[in-house]
Amino acid sequence: MGHTNLANIVDLQKNTANIRNICIVAHVDHGKTTLADSLIASNGIISNRLAGKLRYMDSREDEQIRGITMKSSSISLHFNTDNQEYLINMIDSPGHVDFSSEVSTAVRVCDGAVVVVDVVEGVCPQTQAVLRQAWLENISPVLVINKIDRLIIELKLTPFEAYIHLQKILEQVNAVTGSLFTSKVLEERAEMDVTPDPSSDSKTSGQIYDWSAGLEETDDSHLYFAPEQGNVVFGSAIDGWGFRIEQFVQMYSEKVGIKAEVLLKTLWGDYYLNTKAKKIMKGAQSKGKKPLFVQLVLENIWSLYEAVVVRSCQLLQQKSALGDKEKINKIVNSLGLSILPRDSRHTDPRVHLNAICTQWLPISQAVLSMVCHKLPSPLDITEERVEKLMCVRSRRFDSLPAQTQVLKQAFLECKSDETAPVIVFICKMFAVDPKGIPQNKPRPLTQEEIAQRREQARKRLAEKLANQGQQSGENAEISATNSRGGSTRDIQVPSQMEQAGLNVYQQESEQRDHFIAFARVYSGTIRRGQKLFVLGPKYDPSEALAKLPENYSPDDEVLIPHLSCCTVEDLYLLMGKELEEVQEVPVGNVLGIGGLEDHVLKSATLSTSPLCPPFTPLNVEATPIVRVAVEPKHPSEMPQLVRGMKLLNQADPCVEVLVQETGEHVLITAGEVHLQRCLDDLRERFAKIEISSSAPIVPFRETIIRPPKVDMVNEDMGTQQKVAVIHQKKEDQSKYPEGVSVDSDGLVTLNTPNKLSTISVRAMPLPESVTQLLEENSDLIRAMELFNLSVKEGREAQEINLTTLEAIKTFKQKLEENFVGRKWRNAVNQISSFGPRRYGPNILLNGLKNYDRPSVWQCLDKNSRDSGAYRDFDNSIISGFQLATLSGPICEEPLMGVCFILEKWDMSNKVRQFVQSSTEEQASKPEVQQEITAKENSLTDLKPILEITKQQNGRTESSQTPAKSSDDGKYNSEMVLTDCYGPFSGQLIATMKEACRFAFQAKPQRLMAAMYTCEIMATAEVLGRVYAVLSKRAGRVLQEEMKEGTEMFIIKAVLPVAESFGFADEIRKRTSGQASPQLVFSHWEVIPSDPYWVPTTEEEYLHFGEKADTVNQAHKYMNTVRKRKGLYVEEKIVEHAEKQRTLSKNK
Amino acid sequence: MSIFTPTNQIRLTNVAIVRMKRAGKRFEIACYKNKVMSWRNGAEKDLDEVLQTHTVFTNVSKGQVAKKEDCVAAFQTDNLTDICKQILAKGELQVSDKERHAQLEQMFRDIATIVVEKCVNPETKRPYTVNLIERAMKDVHYSVKANKSTKQQALEVIRLLKESMQIERAHMRLRLRIPIKDGKRLKEKLKPLIKVMESEEFAEDLDVVCLIDPGCFREIDELIRHETKGKASLEVLSLKEVEEGDEKLE
Repeated sequence: MGHTNLANIVDLQKNTANIRNICIVAHVDHGKTTLADSLIASNGIISNRLAGKLRYMDSREDEQIRGITMKSSSISLHFNTDNQEYLINMIDSPGHVDFSSEVSTAVRVCDGAVVVVDVVEGVCPQTQAVLRQAWLENISPVLVINKIDRLIIELKLTPFEAYIHLQKILEQVNAVTGSLFTSKVLEERAEMDVTPDPSSDSKTSGQIYDWSAGLEETDDSHLYFAPEQGNVVFGSAIDGWGFRIEQFVQMYSEKVGIKAEVLLKTLWGDYYLNTKAKKIMKGAQSKGKKPLFVQLVLENIWSLYEAVVVRSCQLLQQKSALGDKEKINKIVNSLGLSILPRDSRHTDPRVHLNAICTQWLPISQAVLSMVCHKLPSPLDITEERVEKLMCVRSRRFDSLPAQTQVLKQAFLECKSDETAPVIVFICKMFAVDPKGIPQNKPRPLTQEEIAQRREQARKRLAEKLANQGQQSGENAEISATNSRGGSTRDIQVPSQMEQAGLNVYQQESEQRDHFIAFARVYSGTIRRGQKLFVLGPKYDPSEALAKLPENYSPDDEVLIPHLSCCTVEDLYLLMGKELEEVQEVPVGNVLGIGGLEDHVLKSATLSTSPLCPPFTPLNVEATPIVRVAVEPKHPSEMPQLVRGMKLLNQADPCVEVLVQETGEHVLITAGEVHLQRCLDDLRERFAKIEISSSAPIVPFRETIIRPPKVDMVNEDMGTQQKVAVIHQKKEDQSKYPEGVSVDSDGLVTLNTPNKLSTISVRAMPLPESVTQLLEENSDLIRAMELFNLSVKEGREAQEINLTTLEAIKTFKQKLEENFVGRKWRNAVNQISSFGPRRYGPNILLNGLKNYDRPSVWQCLDKNSRDSGAYRDFDNSIISGFQLATLSGPICEEPLMGVCFILEKWDMSNKVRQFVQSSTEEQASKPEVQQEITAKENSLTDLKPILEITKQQNGRTESSQTPAKSSDDGKYNSEMVLTDCYGPFSGQLIATMKEACRFAFQAKPQRLMAAMYTCEIMATAEVLGRVYAVLSKRAGRVLQEEMKEGTEMFIIKAVLPVAESFGFADEIRKRTSGQASPQLVFSHWEVIPSDPYWVPTTEEEYLHFGEKADTVNQAHKYMNTVRKRKGLYVEEKIVEHAEKQRTLSKNK
Repeated sequence: MSIFTPTNQIRLTNVAIVRMKRAGKRFEIACYKNKVMSWRNGAEKDLDEVLQTHTVFTNVSKGQVAKKEDCVAAFQTDNLTDICKQILAKGELQVSDKERHAQLEQMFRDIATIVVEKCVNPETKRPYTVNLIERAMKDVHYSVKANKSTKQQALEVIRLLKESMQIERAHMRLRLRIPIKDGKRLKEKLKPLIKVMESEEFAEDLDVVCLIDPGCFREIDELIRHETKGKASLEVLSLKEVEEGDEKLE
């Protein structure tokens, strides 16, 4: 078969019945790409000798270096059989787990799958995964059992052993399909409780399941791989041979004289040839006879290998390779082959073997004819599959609009003529080198073009001459009259500018990566220049139906979410990394579409009809789980990084990129290898800068709890005697600075620096349910806060709409329900603020008896609005609370679930006087006055008595003056309040913040860790290792159950985010890929250990030793965060004083 | 008189001397290196890990022990351990290399954290990460000064970084209410101080919501106070204007 040319393929594309869209899927390293190579070689694109070594489909550099495929790529092949010409669009897919998203995209556009299994390794995790994917997409698989040469050369099996082995492999594969089938049947039964159609023929199903009801009634024989059905190829892609048993049947039916049909049924199975009776008998194994397959097929292959490879290796060692030549020649002659002397003289016997085998049993022939005969053409698309494509599982097909349902017919008919609607599905976008685009490729110029160019050159020359002439003329003119020359130049300059601009644009477009959409036509014919709708994945046809007029064409402009229009610019035939330009692509073909990068993000549907539903999202097996933070090496290159990440996101179906609140750019990938590829892509293609990646920052929260009753060894706290601790006295004194009084109950009292005001605050842990409520309703709180702010400013507040109001009401009600107990009485109405940022999960309660503060709930009923008024500096108190909740004392992380109660807030006379004087004028607000406690007086005898009295004297003087002249006075008194400690409002903020912090510290503090819920699918044998990894990373298993109908277990666990870096990879490694976790953020959880804990009781000493630095997880987290932030870490510079290196280097 | 030879030469290894002058006398104690700072900030709690011996010397290197009466005269006690603790807490010592290194490193981090807290990327309105800022600080060869406050140094670093990368102080959002008669006059004066004017309303008052550089806050505050004699009000709406929440890049 010679090189297939483009015109030929374009012709073939039109014959839909003879198109096969297949993908090659398998576990990693089972020989997909090698198989693809042999198939490509059959089309003369690469040479036969290079097949298997070149790995044509691995066009990326890192694919070649690592030896694994990382992306799916398509190639169109031409095949001749039974006087029929077929076009085979073959997609090679990666086998590594990390790239299983690429497999999903490949499977979507295909009608059939070639499943490759390594005969030695058997069924591997990814084999199961790809079979499942093929199953989910309703595409039919065929099997290639690969690497049979390894059985001969590596394992040195006898033909009979090999036969048993092959049987085992086949059984394994069928077991997987069987379990997929059972789980589907069980699911269906559970879903609708309707037994599937009963069927008589249940030969094969009987032996696998005889236990569950309903299963045996369902026909599944067509699902299984059986050599006699012709859907199994045995072969060795590296040596270029492969066969179906049909081939041997043809060969032997004449030789042995047995009917072909009989032989076909008996060649594979427990049959043997009774030579005397010339009959095929059953029960080879029990009688110890060679099965037919061994006798007729395997022994021949074995003897060939024996002759060529094994023997010659032995002989090579004895330095005489002559004796064997005869035998080889005999075999070659009997097979009727002719081997080039070049190959037979080659020193490497594998080359020789290859030459014989590719002629005798070419694998491409075997595989491609199987594909053509056994796999469906695009015309055979089943109704079930169409429905699955058109609507998501959760939705019933009937629920789609009627016009959309009509389109189903178009799918089934698969017509390419003008009347059929065009429906194209884009399953991924991929970036190609601009050099790879046909338009940019240098190609031989046609005669016309050469003529054209010559014309252009001539013109340019003429222009140049003319310009020169003009300019010289101009110059002369300028000397004569200045004005005219100027004007002509004006015209010239912009044209030059334009040209420069064009050049820049061209350069840019050359540098920019081109995105090509990987797509398949499901109906109609797509042409260049056609206008089509682009339907995003979230598009809803019923919406369009409601909005659009009849006979809507893509030219009109109507705004509908997820719908846009585009003109098809370029269409390509995908030939590996080569692209061939085509004018139109009829139904059933795989193609590349250029110029859609602005319309399509990752996947989309193109159609002439806006009623077409978007295709269901891909069944992606692997969701991105490995998170890393990336940043540029040089901070100035940030914009390039952002641009690069956007491009990467478009080019890869399985990548998520986001910017976190901390400013980190986070890249989420499916696995470690995938991550490596993404980083390489960013570095070399998309961003073109140096990048470093690191573990992302993990957030924490700080909270307080009720005093625990037991200590770390579960002993009752009260009864324990504390052992004299060496360092206790140091701790106690360092906790609270001077001037802070803390009572035994945790009430903290603090003065402002100028001693004019006193604040008492107590901290309490909020009930867990309340914290959760606050978290969930942060939007409502924000709305309320907005309302309150505007009310406070005296402006007429905008009305909150009724639904929100209703929501707020229920929210309040729920809060009241959750605040149970005496101490929380009336707590809901006392709430004066939420924090941090005014909508967080912490509460400030107003516990002042004589301060009737307007409620935060004032939006609920309008009458209460006049009930109270804000006291002066109320804002400062709130701000202080906000600041305190924004960063806690443990490691400056936000607080959560803490309630601060403002129990006392006194202001001295001076302040009040001032406030009065300033309000006198306005005399508008009814000031709620507050008695001054004796506290204020007692303040003075605290510390620097002298200073204070001095200051106060000064103050009284100045604050009395304003009464005389009110206008001036206000300014003066303002000055009073801004004494040496800064403005009073600022002091109050700081004091409130400090008070909250100390109140927090007076209670038992705890860190809260963000938790992932983690769902792990694992087989029974790796369950133990999954548990080991989980417990090592402080995870906790919540539940574990077996998935019905399979042998998989589903484990649900929670895991701290801080421990999740590398978790997915570790679990995969430890279970050799049998289990893969999915991580989703779920909630915050209090870490039970106290970050400041040190052993104090006898038992604790016994248990943990003096330092106890191994057990305290919270302490570890606290220190890492503190270190990262440059906060103080209580850590010795050297651990043991005596163990230092004492000598300096030169002594 | 002894001859100074390698054999009879006694070197004080692993010794850090803490000195103190009291009552006209010099007192010294012999401590381990790298331990005194840990003791002072509370990380080390075992006194025996800090002190080589509980003896108080007048000269450690010569091995001269302080007289008891001198000690009592200076410290009013003859408990050597108590005296050692006093000297440890208040005496002067030479900071050792590791201690200095640790301190500088901590300050470096602290500065970077402050910069991160105060600044944003003006394009995205999002903060930079600490790592990035640390790298940028190394790129501009910033060296930490131990005797300057970290906040002060952070401001200096921001100025330096502005030359090499896109970084700006995060804006502060203010609301100003100025009586109408002062409004026009003040507005001219405020203009150079305001970065972005978000909204401006002339009703009975001039109501302005604007973004400013936090460095100008005091200036604006003072300006408004003085010019309007306290009639105008100034309210901080947010201390730091940054984007909130995660954003998907698409």
